[in-house]
Amino acid sequence: MTGMEFTAWFGKIELDEDGEIRDCELFDKNPEKLAELVVELHDNVQAVPLKRADLREAALESGFVDLDEDYDILLRDVCIRAAKSQISQTDTDDSRIIQAVEALDDIDKNVNELSERLFEWYGRYFPELDMTGEELAVFVSAYGSRANVPDDHELSQKASQSMGAELLFSDEELLRAFAKNICSLYDTRRYIENYINTSMGSVAPNLCNITGASLGARLMSMAGSLQKLAAFPSSTVQVIGANRALFKHLRSKAPSPKHGIIFNNPAIKNAPWWQRGKLARALASKISLAARTDFYSGELDPSIKEALEKKLESIRQANPNPPERKPEDKPQGKGGKGGKRKYRGKGKGKNTGGKR
Amino acid sequence: MPVRELSSGIYELDIDDRKMLATKNIMPGLSVYGERLITDDDTEYRQWDPSRSKLGAMVLKNFDIPLEADSTVLYLGAASGTTVSHVSDILTDGLVYAVEFSPRTMRDLIQLCDQRPNIIPILADANKPQSYAHIVEQVDVIFQDVAQPNQAEIAAINSKYFLEEHGHLMLSIKSRSIDTVASPKKIFKEEVRKLESGFDIEFEVLERKELDPFHEDHLGLVAKMFVDDEE
Ligand SMILES: C[S@@+](CC[C@H](N)C(=O)[O-])C[C@H]1O[C@@H](n2cnc3c(N)ncnc32)[C@H](O)[C@@H]1O
Repeated sequence: MTGMEFTAWFGKIELDEDGEIRDCELFDKNPEKLAELVVELHDNVQAVPLKRADLREAALESGFVDLDEDYDILLRDVCIRAAKSQISQTDTDDSRIIQAVEALDDIDKNVNELSERLFEWYGRYFPELDMTGEELAVFVSAYGSRANVPDDHELSQKASQSMGAELLFSDEELLRAFAKNICSLYDTRRYIENYINTSMGSVAPNLCNITGASLGARLMSMAGSLQKLAAFPSSTVQVIGANRALFKHLRSKAPSPKHGIIFNNPAIKNAPWWQRGKLARALASKISLAARTDFYSGELDPSIKEALEKKLESIRQANPNPPERKPEDKPQGKGGKGGKRKYRGKGKGKNTGGKR
Repeated sequence: MPVRELSSGIYELDIDDRKMLATKNIMPGLSVYGERLITDDDTEYRQWDPSRSKLGAMVLKNFDIPLEADSTVLYLGAASGTTVSHVSDILTDGLVYAVEFSPRTMRDLIQLCDQRPNIIPILADANKPQSYAHIVEQVDVIFQDVAQPNQAEIAAINSKYFLEEHGHLMLSIKSRSIDTVASPKKIFKEEVRKLESGFDIEFEVLERKELDPFHEDHLGLVAKMFVDDEE
């Protein structure tokens, strides 16, 4: 009486209490359909009796297949189909954005290297030219030798009076081709950036609303997926991107890093140093909320951003002045007004001062 | 060329006085991961690099390898199939169920499955045997190389569901997946203890040896499930 039911890839098996087959309802021998079922049973796990008839025996006994070999052939076909379909499902919207973000990083790395090479190389022929990066690449691919700079060009005088060497025709062709490639990398870069901007709005509208497309995409990329980002506590979100410092913190007892990539958000980057930690904490907590909302509902909820703005403003208002700083940050220093506040490293304060 | 069979389907070739581990290629002409193919009379062998395979290292460390031509194997942590391909060579009349949970890695493994008739790919988490219990039959051998902190536990639950009464468990334990600072020796001892008495099924450890110099801080282990005759 106290039997159990168990679904195998080829049919529903009814077992008695010793795990012997009482009945078996076979499925169609359609590999496509069976593969769907295999995936379904993987995603929605069934209760599996420990004592159960051996699958192969059950399939042979119930007449699903006649030979061991047939069992192998069909099962293999079904499982390969199932695995392929599972893999194709992993090409999710967020994974495409993540690929794009990583491609952007690759391009940056390469384009910097190539631009530096062009700068060195072309510098022999026109050292007075005060250009780098894309501007230089565009110039070189347009004119090649400085002899080609037209008279009405603002640089024509510099070009004709240059102390640079003469550029041979064969070298000129090479340099122009090289520069053209760099230009096209810059174009591709913009193309990818556009792609990220537009797709972030549909894949993670709330995250995009809070952080902007680029930072949001980067957070997803570093977390691994939107789902993972949504699962992180906001204290982790705050330090995403500070990995090296974070691992050090976990291994030894170095102070936990405060500078994740969310510090690139203008609301924090442009704030005075003593407000940054608090602002970052507030931002991180709303990023968590936004990522969760994106993952679970996918609808834009403007109230998250409004709440963030309010919170940021109240932090700014509550902390208008720098905490008092002692000349040397000694731990025994008596806490004055800002006693509870953690004292920040000297370097950081200086840095900010320099920038502003 | 002198050829010695070390264990069923596993060979040691002698090429110009240098010994080389190999299996007979069941798909002649096809190399899987860039390994060397060596033809001797009518037989083609595939070189098996022990530093890229825990199982290969276990062979060279003189473990008794419980694999036969007609074995059925559950392989947990198949990765892109470097070792699985040699298992597939050994099981000329058997079948290997290859479980791997990373979709990216599974993409490579499937290419191998497309080539070979005796590998069944399963994209699933070895922590959840229920999620592939509708596919996997009772097996003679479970081979596990997952590099996870709960390696022993994964081995135990899979054995509970899938290992034949007299089947064998082969395990590669990576100490650094369990603890990065504690001494490997201590970790290995603890993992063996867990297998012997830490779970609701118990194992009898038949052999255990470290896999150096092929793999640092790895323990190889072969065990049998303890069968309770009561009940
Ligand atoms: C050390 S590699 C295995 C190498 C492989 N045995 C070989 O020799 O070719 C470990 C593999 O186990 C996989 N893995 C880790 N945890 C897993 C789990 N819980 N379930 C399934 N596979 C897992 C990893 O994705 C990785 O590919």
